[in-house]
Amino acid sequence: MVRGFRSFHPIILLLYYILAIAGLMLYQQPLFLTGGFLAILLANLILDGGKELRKWRFMIMIMGVLTMILTPIFNHKGNHILFYLFENPVMHEAIWQGLIISLTLVSILCLFISFNIVITPDKFIFLFSKFFPQWALLIMLTMRFVPLLRKRLNEISDVQCVKGLSVKSGSIKSRAKNGMFLLQILLTWSLEESIQTADSMTARGYGLGNRSKYQPFYMKRKDWITLVFLLMSGSLVLLGWWLGDGVMALLPILEPFWLYGREWFYLFVFILLIGLPIWLEGKELIKWKYYRHNK
Amino acid sequence: MEILSTQQVSFTYPNATTRAIQDINIQVQQGDFVVLCGPSGSGKSTLLRLFKPEIAPHGSLEGSLSFQGKTMDDLEPSMKAKELGMVFQDPENQIAMDNVMEELIFGMENLGFTTEQMRKKVAEMVNFFGLNHLLDKKTDELSGGEKQLVNLAAILLLDPKVLLLDEPTAQLDPIAAKDFIYMLQRLNEEFGITVIIVEHRLEELFTIANRVIMLEKGVKRFDTTPRELVSKLANHQTMRGYLPSAALLYLSFYPGLYPEEIPLNVKEARNWLKAQNFDSEEAVLVDNLNNQPILELTEVDFRYEKGKPPVLYNLDLTIRGGEWHAIVGANGTGKSTLLKMIGGIVKQQHGVIRYNGKKVKKWDRKSLSYLPQNPKLFFIQDTIKKEYDHIALQHGLENAEDRIQELLCKFNIKHLQDRHPYDLSGGELQKAVLIGTLLTEPTILLIDEPTKGLDPESKRALGEVISGLVKEEGLTVIMVTHDIEFTSNYATRCSMLFQGEITVTENTRDFFHENTYYTTVINRITRNNRVHPVVTLEEAKRTWLVQSQS
Repeated sequence: MVRGFRSFHPIILLLYYILAIAGLMLYQQPLFLTGGFLAILLANLILDGGKELRKWRFMIMIMGVLTMILTPIFNHKGNHILFYLFENPVMHEAIWQGLIISLTLVSILCLFISFNIVITPDKFIFLFSKFFPQWALLIMLTMRFVPLLRKRLNEISDVQCVKGLSVKSGSIKSRAKNGMFLLQILLTWSLEESIQTADSMTARGYGLGNRSKYQPFYMKRKDWITLVFLLMSGSLVLLGWWLGDGVMALLPILEPFWLYGREWFYLFVFILLIGLPIWLEGKELIKWKYYRHNK
Repeated sequence: MEILSTQQVSFTYPNATTRAIQDINIQVQQGDFVVLCGPSGSGKSTLLRLFKPEIAPHGSLEGSLSFQGKTMDDLEPSMKAKELGMVFQDPENQIAMDNVMEELIFGMENLGFTTEQMRKKVAEMVNFFGLNHLLDKKTDELSGGEKQLVNLAAILLLDPKVLLLDEPTAQLDPIAAKDFIYMLQRLNEEFGITVIIVEHRLEELFTIANRVIMLEKGVKRFDTTPRELVSKLANHQTMRGYLPSAALLYLSFYPGLYPEEIPLNVKEARNWLKAQNFDSEEAVLVDNLNNQPILELTEVDFRYEKGKPPVLYNLDLTIRGGEWHAIVGANGTGKSTLLKMIGGIVKQQHGVIRYNGKKVKKWDRKSLSYLPQNPKLFFIQDTIKKEYDHIALQHGLENAEDRIQELLCKFNIKHLQDRHPYDLSGGELQKAVLIGTLLTEPTILLIDEPTKGLDPESKRALGEVISGLVKEEGLTVIMVTHDIEFTSNYATRCSMLFQGEITVTENTRDFFHENTYYTTVINRITRNNRVHPVVTLEEAKRTWLVQSQS
C-alpha cells in the first residue's frame, strides 16, 4: 500500500503516536476512553484486518479484566461504600477507577499493536538514526550478523554431525560439550571472515569522516498538512485536559459520568485525533471502491 | 593514457625472509582489461592489494606506485576510496548491511553524498544491472551470484576509474561466474573502466582481456597479449593447466607454433579443427558394470517444511561399490540436500536407503565420511595433528598414529601438521580434511563441491589423490558438483538431478557425449566436427591418431 496512513513521514507518524498515548493517559474519563478505544480498534481492523490484534487478544483481554477487578479490591479511597468483600469495603469510586485504568491500559496496548504495523523496521531505523546516528549504523551492521551467524552455525553442526559430534543425541554432558565446540568454531570462523568484511568496508571509504545518511523519506505536502492538524488538535486536547474537561473527578466528589456542554466538543477533538488512521485509510478504501465501480 | 603504474615495487611480509614480490614494473593504460595470473603463492593478490593502499597488507614496501601520475601517498583518502574500486573473492563477507538498498548506498554515505545524488545514482545503476527485483530484499536471501553483482554495483556507484578484482568468481557456480565476467566486459567496453582482475578461471577471460600479466615467485614473467602468452606457456609445467581448453587442444596436436593461429575459445577452435584431419581409433571402454551396488535409494522424498514443495521427489539412485559417482545439476535442484540425506544429516520423509542391502536407520559413523564444501568447518582443534588425534580418540581407533603418519606422507603435507588449519591454502586444507575423513577407514566418502575456489594445480592434485583412493583402496565416492571439467576428468559415473529426481545416470564419457549444452568445452569443440568427438583432452590424446608433421 503506497497511499494511506502508512505512507506518511515517520516523524509525523511518531508524533501521532506520542499525542495519542498522551491523550489516552491524560483523559481519565470512561466515555472519552471508550471512544478512543473503539477508534483504535477500528484503525487496527482497517490497517491489517485485525490480524496482529488477534494474536494478542487474549493477553489484552485478561489484562483488562484483571485490572478492572483487582483495582476495586485493593483501592479503598472514596465516599460511597457499595458492599463488603471479605470484610473490606468496595467503593463506588474505585470501580470507576478500575474501569478507567483498564480502558487506558487496553487502549495503549492496542495502539502499540498498530504502531508495530505502521512503523516498519526501516521506518524505525530511520527515526532512530535521526536521534542516534552512530547507534543506528551499529544496529544495522549487527542485524546483518544475526541471520549470518545462524546460517553458519547450521552449516557447522551439519558437518560435525557426520563426524559424530552432535548436540541432538547423547548424554546432557556430552551434548553441552559438543555445543561448546560448535560455538568455538563459529567464533573462530566468524572472526576470520569478518576481517574481510572490515576490508570491504574500508575499501568503500568507511571511517573517512563526515558520513552522510540517505534519507529514504521526505516531507510531502500532505505531511505538512497533517502536521498542522496534529499540532492544532494536540494543543486543543491539552487545553481540554488543563480545563479539566476530559477528566472524571473521583475525589473529593464523584463527578457524573455523562458529559455536558464544552466536554462534547473536546470528545469530538479527541476522537478526531485518535481516529486519524481511520480517516486516512478509510479515504483510500472508499477511493478504491469508487474506482472499481467506475471501471 | 597511463592510469596505474608501479616503479620497481618490492614487498616483504613481516617475519618473512624472502620478498613476496620483487622489482615489479607495470604500466596500466586507461581502458585496459588486465588479467593477473600465476601459480598459487606467486604474489598476484599481494600486488593487487598494493594498488588499494587502504587495505594493502602490512610489511615493507620498496619502490613506488602511482595513480594518474601521482604517487599513492599524495592522494586524498576520499579519492582513493572513490577512484579505485575493489571486489573481493567471497561474496558473503563483503556485504556489511542488512538489506540491498543500504548495501548499495553504503559507500556513498561514507563519502558524504547527498540524498538526491544517491537517489539518482542508484536509479541509474539499478536499471543498468537489472537489480530492481532485489532492491527491497534482505542481503542474506540472495544467491551467491546475486550477492557478487550487488557488491560490484555498490562499488560502481562511486564511479571508480579502476576496478580491482580478487578472484571474484571463485565462489560462484559456472553460470553466475559467466554472467559476472560478461558484466565486467560490458563495463570495460561500454564505459572504458580499467579492469585488473586476479583469476584462476581463465577460460572466458582470455578472449576478453587485452593484456595478461603473469607472475611467478613474485617476479613478473610475462606481460603480453593472451594469444602471445599461450604460445609462451605451451611448455610451462604448472601454468599450462591454467590455459583455456581450446588452446590446450591446439597445443597438444599442433606444436608448430603460430601464435596468431592459437584458438582461445570454442568458435576459433572449431574453425581450426575443420581444417584438420585426424584419424581415430575407438578406445576400449573400461566398465565397472559388474560392481555390486553398495548404496540404494528408492522412492525417496524430502521437503524442508510441511506445505513447502518437495526438494527431492520419488528419487531412485544406485551407487556401486568402488565408483566415483558425480551428481550434477543446476543451482537449487537439491544436490546438497541429497548428499545431506545420504549422510544422515536430514531424514527422508518417504522411501528407504539401503547400505549393502540392509536398511539404514542410523549410520555407523566409521563407514561414512563427509568432505564439506567449506573445509574449514571440519576442524575443532587448533592444529591439524591435534584434530586427527581427537578423531582417533573419539572413534577408539587402533594404530591411529601409524595411519596418520602414513596418510600425511602420502598426501605430501607432513610439514604442515602443526599448523592452524586456517593458515593453509585452499588445496592444502582440502587434503588435510581428506586425511581426517579417511582415518576411520570409511567405505563411502561424500564430497560437496570440492573444487570451489581451488586453482587448477590444486584441482588436479585433489583429483589424482581421490582417484587413487578409488582405484587402489576401493573407496566409493559420491560427489556433488558444478564443475563439469573436473567431473569429466575423474568421475566414473554421472547422474543428472532435475526437479528433485535423477533423470539420467550413465558412465561419465557417455553422459557428456550425449549432452549438447551441459558438457565440456572440448566436447563442444569436437562434436559435429570433422574429427571423432571426445569429451576430455586426455581422451583426444588417446583416440586421435596424429599424422606426423610434414
